[in-house]
Amino acid sequence: MKLALASAPASVESARKQPAIQVSNLSIVFDTRRGQTIAVDRVSFDVAPGEFICIVGPSGCGKSTVLNTIAGLEVPFEGDILVEGSRVYSPRPDVGMVFQQPHLFPWKSVRRNIAHGPRMLGKSRTEANAIADDLIAMVGLKRFADAYPNTLSGGMQQRVAIARALANQPRVLLMDEPFGALDAQTRAVMQDNLLELRDRIKATIVFVTHDIDEAIVLADRVLIMSAGPGRILREVAVKLPRPRSNSVMVEPTYLSLKKDCLDVIRAEGLRAFNQSDAS
Amino acid sequence: MQEGTSARQEIALRTDGRGRRPDSARLRRLNILVGALSLPLFIGLWELVSRSGAVNMVLFPPPTVVAAAVLEWIRSGQFLGDLLASLFRVTTGFIVGGLLGILLGILTGQFPVVSSLLSPLFHILRPIPPIAFVPIVILWFGLSEAGKLFLVVWGVFFTVWLSTHIGVQKVDRGLIRAALMLGTPRRQMLQEIVLLGALPYIVVGLRTAVSISFYTLVAAELAGAFAGIVYRIEIAQQNLQTGQVMGGLAALGLISFAADRLFSALAERTVWWR
Ligand SMILES: Nc1ncnc2c1ncn2[C@@H]1O[C@H](COP(=O)(O)OP(=O)(O)O)[C@@H](O)[C@H]1O
Ligand SMILES: [Mg+2]
Repeated sequence: MKLALASAPASVESARKQPAIQVSNLSIVFDTRRGQTIAVDRVSFDVAPGEFICIVGPSGCGKSTVLNTIAGLEVPFEGDILVEGSRVYSPRPDVGMVFQQPHLFPWKSVRRNIAHGPRMLGKSRTEANAIADDLIAMVGLKRFADAYPNTLSGGMQQRVAIARALANQPRVLLMDEPFGALDAQTRAVMQDNLLELRDRIKATIVFVTHDIDEAIVLADRVLIMSAGPGRILREVAVKLPRPRSNSVMVEPTYLSLKKDCLDVIRAEGLRAFNQSDAS
Repeated sequence: MQEGTSARQEIALRTDGRGRRPDSARLRRLNILVGALSLPLFIGLWELVSRSGAVNMVLFPPPTVVAAAVLEWIRSGQFLGDLLASLFRVTTGFIVGGLLGILLGILTGQFPVVSSLLSPLFHILRPIPPIAFVPIVILWFGLSEAGKLFLVVWGVFFTVWLSTHIGVQKVDRGLIRAALMLGTPRRQMLQEIVLLGALPYIVVGLRTAVSISFYTLVAAELAGAFAGIVYRIEIAQQNLQTGQVMGGLAALGLISFAADRLFSALAERTVWWR
């Protein structure tokens, strides 16, 4: 069983022509008791096929909202979202999602959780289980294939959630602070796992986090967002070599990148502070 | 290895060698002993008080007289008929009321339109004690079996409906979103995610409904019947057979206790992932 190894050389050419994700002029407005609030304000960005981008920003700045809209779980108020050239109306199987909480089906074993997607897309139980077993091996959980989620640690549960999202071989993988609830050590291990996994699946990844270190370690490009309303402040290209691991965090290039990001964030914080002071 | 051995010796020294502290083992033995003595003590005391002359033995017969009445009840063959009649009413009413409750609970929990249509009505009817329906049930059904089933179904239905309704609404939205992202179609969403997500609540509702079904059974049989445990209690009361009355009460207690135990054992298996 081979997982979607998107033929790299051929798609690099078409990558120039068509981004995997195009977000143009996206605004999202929520109706609240105190009237309407603009959660996301005219956000635009493209993601190339196979690219790994991270969106960082303070909590409440609209990161999840942007991701949910790409996933088709939220409807744009204004603007357009195209995935692989076609407009997103509702969740679709070529877009996978990993949430901050694993949200595993508690009544299904690890294998059945991962096999759920393929089953829903009409695969036989045998086929779906074969796909699941491949992914279980890939995320290193062979011993736990028949375990129920409540017997697993938080890190293991999140690995199952990642495997489950990959089971439908999505072209695009969306990850919403997937390691946010884990302790620092587990998080570092999970980042390395994801970097390894990523080299094998070649899906386009949009990863949301509020942790700048995490963003730089993982991404090809970091989008920094600001709050109230959510906008994109700056894009930072991460020119660190791949294959990469969590240990790049001590390299000089890494540190200067981090300084750039922090400067942008500090300037924005100051601006927001002065503005709130004036009004 | 060295360290492990010494730690084990340490634990053995401080406990009774089975990993427990010695005084906790002694306490546990004492508790088991007291537990085993509870019923015999109570029955012995009852026998003494009854026969002491301090109370009227006709109204407060000793356990030996109650036991004789129960044996006679069984020997006459009436007990089996009464037991079957009561069990039939309880189980049929429970199954019908439970199924209706689950079905409508899923509908009102999942579809806001159905909820808007039915929930106000159900919330008005639900708090009325089922016993209050006895007079109208007699008008509608007379002394027929249908009337008795109606009462049990009525009592069971609202409990199961409400817990199913709440269970469906409390299904983790995150699970539903995860299932949506995996391409789960509507029907599977209802069967595999919503129903199973609500299952723990449904099971709690059904368990409450077990005792409610016995309680409505009492009302149903007191309203007039031709057989049944509670019917027998009422007849015995009219004949001043107090021993038989108490025997009937004991039988009712034992049956509903057994039903509750059976159900909780089943329930444990129903929510298999816990
Ligand atoms: N369903 C909703 N209804 C109303 N407001 C919402 C809803 N979801 C998010 N918001 C608001 O939109 C803003 C962005 O939220 P979110 O995307 O969750 O931020 P982040 O993921 O960056 O922490 C917040 O101010 C939040 O209060
Ligand atoms: Mg968020």
